[in-house]
Amino acid sequence: MKRALILVARFWQIGPSRILPPTCRYQPSCSEYAINALDKHGAIKGGWLALKRLLRCHPWGGHGYDPVP
Amino acid sequence: MDNQRNLILAVVLSAALLFGWDFVMTRFFPQPVVAEQSQTASSGASSGVDTGIDASGAPVAQAAGPGVEAVLARDLDAELAAPGRLPINAPEIVGSINPVGARIDDIELKTHRQTVDKDSGPIRWFAPAGTDVQQFAQFGWVGDGIALPDARTQWSGTGELTQETPLTLSWDNGQGQTFILTFSIDEHYMLTVEQSVRNDSDGSIALRPYAFVNRTSLTASHSTWNVHSGPIAAIDNEVDFDWNYDEVAEEGPVNMPGRTEWVGFTDIYWMSALIADDDFAATSAFRSTGNDTYRADLLYETVSVPAGATMTRSTRLFAGAKESAVLDAYEDQGVEKFGLAIDWGWFRFIAWPMWQVLIFLFGLVGNFGVAIICLTIIIRGLMFPIAQKQFASMAQMRAVQPKMKALQERYKDDKPQLQQEMAKLYKEEKVNPLAGCLPIFIQIPIFFALYKSLLLAIEMRHEPFVLWIKDLSAPDPATILNLFGLLDFTPPGFLSIGVLAVLLGLTMWLQFKLNPAAMDPMQQQIFMIMPWVLMFVMAPFAAGLLLYWITSNLLTLGQQKYLYSRHPQLRAQAEKDAAEKARNAERKG
Repeated sequence: MKRALILVARFWQIGPSRILPPTCRYQPSCSEYAINALDKHGAIKGGWLALKRLLRCHPWGGHGYDPVP
Repeated sequence: MDNQRNLILAVVLSAALLFGWDFVMTRFFPQPVVAEQSQTASSGASSGVDTGIDASGAPVAQAAGPGVEAVLARDLDAELAAPGRLPINAPEIVGSINPVGARIDDIELKTHRQTVDKDSGPIRWFAPAGTDVQQFAQFGWVGDGIALPDARTQWSGTGELTQETPLTLSWDNGQGQTFILTFSIDEHYMLTVEQSVRNDSDGSIALRPYAFVNRTSLTASHSTWNVHSGPIAAIDNEVDFDWNYDEVAEEGPVNMPGRTEWVGFTDIYWMSALIADDDFAATSAFRSTGNDTYRADLLYETVSVPAGATMTRSTRLFAGAKESAVLDAYEDQGVEKFGLAIDWGWFRFIAWPMWQVLIFLFGLVGNFGVAIICLTIIIRGLMFPIAQKQFASMAQMRAVQPKMKALQERYKDDKPQLQQEMAKLYKEEKVNPLAGCLPIFIQIPIFFALYKSLLLAIEMRHEPFVLWIKDLSAPDPATILNLFGLLDFTPPGFLSIGVLAVLLGLTMWLQFKLNPAAMDPMQQQIFMIMPWVLMFVMAPFAAGLLLYWITSNLLTLGQQKYLYSRHPQLRAQAEKDAAEKARNAERKG
């Protein structure tokens, strides 16, 4: 499960992300954050963290350096 | 150097995409092939093994014996012209019941055409056994020591089955039992079959009522990874999409455990399903009956019928189009999970509400193309504040431009460091020109949902937009290479680019040109190629999907123009940047 989710994030990074304009307001980027979070905290907690990160990556959200806790 | 390598990589990848795409498309996204076979052809026919359930109820493949028909190719027209057929005439269904075997084996769907051509005939959904479009339903009993009706039984009855007038067939086995089938039909696609046996003999008898649908898989639509076609069943309140025809053929009889609500076969747009009597538990099974024919059984428990008593099971047969409103209405009438016969898949939570909005808009404007455009306007409208905010941030950015320039100068050889310093600067100044990942991310499921709706929803089948677009659920027919069909050849897969695909490439290219996000030269170059790659990639998709994308691009373009006019200093900046980039590129070149 964890691996599958990481694979999805990786796929996003090498696929669509390359050809879209840069969008992410954070460092590390949302996809990188997701990979780290999944790796560190597993599918459930890591996935939740990644989702929360994605949900704050919008013009009214925060920005800047925001590593996986 | 690095940039050049990346560029080459991008070109190679694009080429791979282009040529690999055709392969992937035909493999994973075959065009829906609907049962629209010519009605007169009669080759490659198949048998109609019709009994094969032993008294214990386990479906067994029977060798030759009473009730097993020989493999015989039959002509559809000749079959339907056979005397004695009892007509069915309902608002959406026309057809007939075959008194031999009491089979429902002739159903045409009046309200759906075979092709987009207005003169093309109705969809033939059920056809007699042995014809090349075979699909029929039969109702029967199994039991030991009793003469039972089979596929060759001549039933007696007269009349016409309409919404107002049910039709009754009966057969006396000469041993004291009378078998009675009463058919009725509603205004859509549902037949109800009351299957009774009256025992006038002296002793009690044990019988097991059953019903089945038997169809050929040769006229079935292809099952793909995201739309299932083939055996389908609702068991213990869950819809089972797991089995494919060839899997059933390989595994032999597949007995479905649990209580069956309904069972049958589904195409993308059409379905035949037997719905079990609410009051009696039923099980189901799928199996191959040879020659690419398959059978779905609905089996009730064995019941003892005492002397003088009558046993009745009321089974419903759905034979028609999977119109979501109709299926939902049946679900409201107690057919569990019937709405889920449409395979929305994982994205149901987003696809279904979006579909409801689209249907609502269609009701308002009366044209699905216009409805799609309205949907796009709504979605872009919801996204507008994001773009507005982004432009406002960019305007603020101008204030920190000098500091940024200084940073860029200082770290021009250390890109990661530069990025970090920039992030720090954004933080200090509390600005960030980027819109974030969420706005992009939420558009993906919307796009996929629309893709899926266009693939699945019969409501959009043969729905026109304007001019040459007569079917939004099919690819754009105006392929450019053969001069819109004037030249008599079909361009090979990946070259059949329609007008819509070119419009898509063009609008996307314009949009990328106006994109305010800062990009490095390498990305800039990819962005000049991408629209044209996507033109090829998207060409084989449904016209409605391209219509959504083109509208979305145009609205984004308009939005950018508008926002630039609100922030003239940004426009000046953008023009200056562009000029600078051009100069740089020239110097490099």
